[in-house]
Amino acid sequence: MSLAGRWTKAADLQLGGGLLVLVLAIGLVGPVVWPLDPLAGHLADTFQPPLSAVKGVLHPLGTDQLGRDLLARIIEGVRISLSIVLVAGAISAIVGTATGVIAGYLGGWVDTVLMRLADIQLAIPFILLILLVVAVVGPSFTNLILVLGITGWAIYARVARARTLEVRELEYIEAARALALPTPRILAFHVLPNILVPQIVLLTLDLPRLIVLEASIGFLGLGIQPPTPTLGNLIGEGRSYILLADWLILYPGLVIAALVIAFNLIGDWLVKMTETRLD
Amino acid sequence: MGFGIFITKRLGQGVLVLLGVSAIVFFSLFLTGDPTTLMVSPDATAAEIQQFRHAMGFDDPLWLQYARFLWGLVQGDLGNSLRFHQPAMALVLARLPATAILASAALAWSTAAGFVFGVIGAVWRGSRIDLFVRLAALSGQAVPVFWLGLLLIIVFALRLRWLPTGGMGGIEHLILPAVALGAYYMSAVTRLVRASLIEALAQDYVRTARSKGLSEWRVVMRHALRNALIPVVTVQGMYFAALLGGALITEIIFAWPGIGRLAVQAIENRDFPLVQAVVLFVAFVFVVANLIVDVTYGLLNPRIQL
Repeated sequence: MSLAGRWTKAADLQLGGGLLVLVLAIGLVGPVVWPLDPLAGHLADTFQPPLSAVKGVLHPLGTDQLGRDLLARIIEGVRISLSIVLVAGAISAIVGTATGVIAGYLGGWVDTVLMRLADIQLAIPFILLILLVVAVVGPSFTNLILVLGITGWAIYARVARARTLEVRELEYIEAARALALPTPRILAFHVLPNILVPQIVLLTLDLPRLIVLEASIGFLGLGIQPPTPTLGNLIGEGRSYILLADWLILYPGLVIAALVIAFNLIGDWLVKMTETRLD
Repeated sequence: MGFGIFITKRLGQGVLVLLGVSAIVFFSLFLTGDPTTLMVSPDATAAEIQQFRHAMGFDDPLWLQYARFLWGLVQGDLGNSLRFHQPAMALVLARLPATAILASAALAWSTAAGFVFGVIGAVWRGSRIDLFVRLAALSGQAVPVFWLGLLLIIVFALRLRWLPTGGMGGIEHLILPAVALGAYYMSAVTRLVRASLIEALAQDYVRTARSKGLSEWRVVMRHALRNALIPVVTVQGMYFAALLGGALITEIIFAWPGIGRLAVQAIENRDFPLVQAVVLFVAFVFVVANLIVDVTYGLLNPRIQL
């Protein structure tokens, strides 16, 4: 059988899952097995190339302009960037799903208003708006999570609304209505569980967008401020030393690419497995 | 529903969207309370602050300020840039050609390449070349534009010295930024064309065309691809936003004197009237682009109920 023939759906999951486990391990176990301080360095050890050892201390990915260990900074960067992205993604999914369910179930003017708001949200070039808001409120950890989380609700709302419209007409919902159950209860216990799967699939496919967005903000120097590392601001800082030390750009970018590929593959696999339609 | 009514409805929606964007852009300045503190330098005296506040109209009621903002917007006047002391809209328009050149170059090569890859992947589905197409599409969507841009600079400008690292000039200045900007889009087009052509090739009318003894080339090009185009066109509008966002970062990396670079500089300088002008202008372009997509969509497939 040819190489491509063996490239099956399972391979999507294996490659994606493998990459994800790898990056998660870097973030979770990294600080334990690699205890170098991401914020401390010696000026005498600046710009050591990857695999160089200084006074018995190995720097597998080299050091930066302040002699800090790049691996330690990437580990810390993965932790910070992933925390921001995952919490922001959860906020988007929750806000968007709630909005979509309410719009789809209630219909009428509520539906019209909420969906027009979603149109507006989708019509704004996110990054500019986010940069504007972050510049106004300041680039703290919480602010970034809130801004990224709140601006991402619209696609969740659209998908949740479409599914709710289908579920709303089913007999068991009619039965719940006939029992005169309160609407919030119908939404939470009868509608929501039946639209949950597509929303989770959507979240998986939306995470790459958030990862790149967070990294872009960091790269532009408008996100979490140095010396605290994020995957984006590591590359942003490394850009100034592109002639001297291109490893400062190379390795953080590889981690971002691995994360994005991982979530895309797992998301594709989930779409096929759950036969989700996301139109 | 008639085509005219459809277009009118979409136009109305577009205006609504722009109104919403204008509100967000306007009120975001008030998130911290007083926009004056954002705009004056930290060492300004109390009298200077008061004078600035009055000059900008920040001491008026909020609704009056927003009404004034909207009235200016209708006339294409968004106030003066705090830094350049020129009309903000004029500054944005002056940078438009550079961004338009970059975006169209990226759009052109990536659409063309995406179509070729997508068709190849669909026709030889499951083959080795299809695997290559899928991997290329996957990695194109995985690398952030700023990282790809920097890698291109490292390899082609610094190591090989084939192309300049940045700036605007001859065609050689355009190659690297256009490649970096278009990569994501190329992947998206490849995936879409491949997926929708595979679906189209499985339809009955394709079997009919084949059974008539038409050449495979003709079956793919004339029958399947034409129908596979529809979903591709629909999402073009959505990816256009990503393209504009990417242009912003590409311009920073390659020192390309376009709107994106202007926007980031304006944000760094806390030049908020200029930032507002950029956001509104980009939203306007986006609304117009989506309108064009809707119209094309209707023309491509008259069967679709608008």
